Amino acid sequence: MVVISDLHLGNPFSSQSRQIFEFIRWAAKEGFDVCINGDGLEIAQSSFTKMTNEVPDFLRALAEVRRAGREAYYIVGNHDIALEHFLDDWGMMKASPFLNVLSGGRRVRIEHGHLYDPFFVKHPHLYEFLTRLGAIPLRFFPKSYRLWIRFERWKSGRRAKRTGITGEPQAFALAAAEIAQRGFDAVVFGHTHHAGRVDLAEGAEYLNPGSWLLTPHYVEILEGEVRLKTWSPSRSGGASA
Amino acid sequence: MGEHFSHESIRTYADGEKIFAEGDTGRDLYVVQRGAVEIRKATKGGDLPLARFGRGHFFGELALVHSLPRSASAYAVGETRLLVLQPGGFLLKIRRDPTFAFELIQQLSHRVKVSNDRLVSLVESSPSAAELIQAMKDAEEPAK
Repeated sequence: MVVISDLHLGNPFSSQSRQIFEFIRWAAKEGFDVCINGDGLEIAQSSFTKMTNEVPDFLRALAEVRRAGREAYYIVGNHDIALEHFLDDWGMMKASPFLNVLSGGRRVRIEHGHLYDPFFVKHPHLYEFLTRLGAIPLRFFPKSYRLWIRFERWKSGRRAKRTGITGEPQAFALAAAEIAQRGFDAVVFGHTHHAGRVDLAEGAEYLNPGSWLLTPHYVEILEGEVRLKTWSPSRSGGASA
Repeated sequence: MGEHFSHESIRTYADGEKIFAEGDTGRDLYVVQRGAVEIRKATKGGDLPLARFGRGHFFGELALVHSLPRSASAYAVGETRLLVLQPGGFLLKIRRDPTFAFELIQQLSHRVKVSNDRLVSLVESSPSAAELIQAMKDAEEPAK
């Protein structure tokens, strides 16, 4: 299985859609199941024009996964939270709030991670308001989002005692450790848009493929190995991140 | 990030070791981290294996949620490591790990379905199926 996250198709700053569809087609050809780990479709900040341009090609790419005899999974995030009650097989993909994957005897939990975002949990209405408000500058200056990511990494680097992936609040690594206690060897989140990997207790690990919009990272789960990789269309494959 | 909160702990058991016995009054809920656990019920004909739980599965919930004595015994299958949630730790665990509650419901509803299917299969294969069904209906009638 390959896991990608936070595609935000339909968002003004979503500029990598061609590459995403190429990646999904490559994964299908290589015989992988594909998991979209939340915020695949941008419902909160969408441009309707972009959605209508991008969604059909997205669904066509996922249909190729099914045609290759593999499965496509869609895990709901916070930007597509309206889909949360759809625990269903939609034909070209299966929707779920999280996935438990068994690979080579190892158990992997895949979940978007927004439930562990301290700000989202404490102030869901304010979070949604700010998300919608954020769509305005993004419409005119899509690349401004990269400045925000750099700011988060800088802020995270200033913390005296840092655990977890750089750029993220510590809450995510703690949540991953909490989940791992229930017999998981690896936990994969999205949501934060910061890619990375950290060791947890008892040999477990936490990985985040970040957002494809920033870097084309993905998590590969193959024969019990869980790896963070970077997609390269020219190499037609991934290399360790 | 290996910390454990109060009201929860990790316990290890050797192959075949008893985790709790039928009739015990413990209130802990267990989640299998490594290994497996077999639940057995004492019957007139000997110990009846009721279920086997692997990694990620929980057991012991009746005692925690309903304050009942253990309805069966639990034994480790292979080297087994369990996350133990003591009373006071269950709701806090759900708060920190909300999908735990979802998986509890999933596992419990699956167990109910399996039990129902077994019951139906046993009744249907019995020569006195009609009498069994009537007896079960009578047992459900409220006291008059």
